Amino acid sequence: MRWMLPSQLLTIMGVILLPLVLVGLMMGPVWIAPAEVLRAFGEHFGASPSSAGAQEGLILFAIRLPRVILAGLVGICLAVCGTAMQGLFRNPLADPSLIGVSSGASAGASLMIVLGGGALLQGGQAAGLSVVALGAFAGGFLAVVLVYRLATSAIGTSVATMLLAGIAISALAGALNSLFMFLADDEMLRRISLWQMGSLDAANWPRVWIAGLAVAMLLMLLPREANALNALLLGESEARHLGIAVDAVKRKLILLTAMAIGVSVAVAGTISFVGLIVPHIVRLLIGPDHRYLIPASAMAGAILLILADAAARVVVAPAELPAGILTALLGTPFFLSLLAQKRRVEVG
Amino acid sequence: MSLSARNLSLNLSDTALLDDVGLDVLPGQIITVLGPNGAGKTTLLRVLAGELQPDSGNVSLNNRKLAEWTPRQRARILAVLPQHSLLNFPFTAAEVVMLGRTPHDSGLVHDREIVAQALKAVDGDYLAGRVYTQLSGGEKQRVHLARVLAQIWAPCPEGERFLLLDEPTSSFDLAHQQLTLDVVRNLAMQGVGILMVVHDLNLAARCADHMILMQCGRLAIAGAPAEVLQRDIIARVFQVDATIGTHPLTGTPLVIT
Repeated sequence: MRWMLPSQLLTIMGVILLPLVLVGLMMGPVWIAPAEVLRAFGEHFGASPSSAGAQEGLILFAIRLPRVILAGLVGICLAVCGTAMQGLFRNPLADPSLIGVSSGASAGASLMIVLGGGALLQGGQAAGLSVVALGAFAGGFLAVVLVYRLATSAIGTSVATMLLAGIAISALAGALNSLFMFLADDEMLRRISLWQMGSLDAANWPRVWIAGLAVAMLLMLLPREANALNALLLGESEARHLGIAVDAVKRKLILLTAMAIGVSVAVAGTISFVGLIVPHIVRLLIGPDHRYLIPASAMAGAILLILADAAARVVVAPAELPAGILTALLGTPFFLSLLAQKRRVEVG
Repeated sequence: MSLSARNLSLNLSDTALLDDVGLDVLPGQIITVLGPNGAGKTTLLRVLAGELQPDSGNVSLNNRKLAEWTPRQRARILAVLPQHSLLNFPFTAAEVVMLGRTPHDSGLVHDREIVAQALKAVDGDYLAGRVYTQLSGGEKQRVHLARVLAQIWAPCPEGERFLLLDEPTSSFDLAHQQLTLDVVRNLAMQGVGILMVVHDLNLAARCADHMILMQCGRLAIAGAPAEVLQRDIIARVFQVDATIGTHPLTGTPLVIT
């Protein structure tokens, strides 16, 4: 039933990751040979500087390296939060958008684009984040807080109510989003739709630091709840009987997810399917134990998004595809085949 | 040291789910709770487990109020086997049993040993590597029985251990009903206090030291099986005309309907 041990999967992915980063650095409108990449790294980190290949160096360190790192970080955020939500909702088909974060972020971003128009987009920047990104973060976070508040009463937080509240708030945010699009002019419309497709083309070092901070918090705090997540899969009452402080765990998971997904949406737009697919695949490979599922999903998410982003830069070169389109294009058939397989197992 | 309830009352929109219920589960004692559907058996179990708060009255575990225990400490000495489980993820049976060790810090090697023994105790060693979601209903229930066994496997500094079971035999065949009773008796001999909701009167009579018969949220009668299983009492509580005999081997009351 299980394909491999967690240690095997982690080793394989560890071996893949470094060459993949190299590939990510090579690919793009300007092709940089592997030897060039390595040489540029040597120069950058102390070896004898030379003026040869200065343009490649600039492309590598100002554009491609932050972009590859950001892709990895966003992949980690999406996959790890997906794992947490699937555990919390005890449903392998859950993903972070269930609690309203994606649609909230879209509405926030659209509002900022419509309000600010072109001027804000070019001018308004804070810590490397555009006003649109800040609007997305605020919108996503606000939506999650609303969903959480709606589902929390004196006797605790109901996961079922949270699911319904998530659907309702998503619908509301979707309506607001449509309203902003209705009010927008053609230029704004194009920006809104491009933003919603999700892309890493706005990567820069400040964004890398922000996403890095979010990932550091996520990976420091979430693995501590691995045992609690395992116990929660039995059901909330059973988790309580096993000594888990269920409501505190829920609050922590929701807040961490809102923070991390909010940041990832702010820096890269809405990238679909990573949060749903990655934990699902990893669970098929190594089983549902969250002590291994969380780190393995983190690595798999990073790998998938680095790969999708590298492909996004070359498939329609010299233009580039939003990475969100690629993850959905690759993710949907894969997901459907998983569903079909599951049906066969259940029938047969 | 005991698991004790005093004057428990719980109302849900004007319906009394529990009405002034009190009981003591003593270490090594097996109490069975009987009653028609909707009599409040499961509610009582959930209040005793700290899952539901009573409107009035209180539950104490080893002389401390239930709420004064940290969840983790409490879980080391009080385990609950629910009627159904929602688990829908492909853990192996051994991993599910291992979840029972969540509140303990006894180390992986020791825990593995306990998991193997707990599975063996429920006649489930052959299940260890199988995927839980592909097991039959009875096998799943046995895995959960092994899980709660693993949870309260050994004596603890927190005090006497207690196990609450909600219809543990409902999905078992005859052999495994018998096995469950043996497991429960064995636990009681080790000093674990047991409270068990059971539907089958004869099964309840065979293993109980003490019986509680519930009706409409109240204790209709409590006592030794021979005192509780009387023709007039069964007629009053269950509205069934029964004949009471004696089990030819064990000497316990036998209810024939």
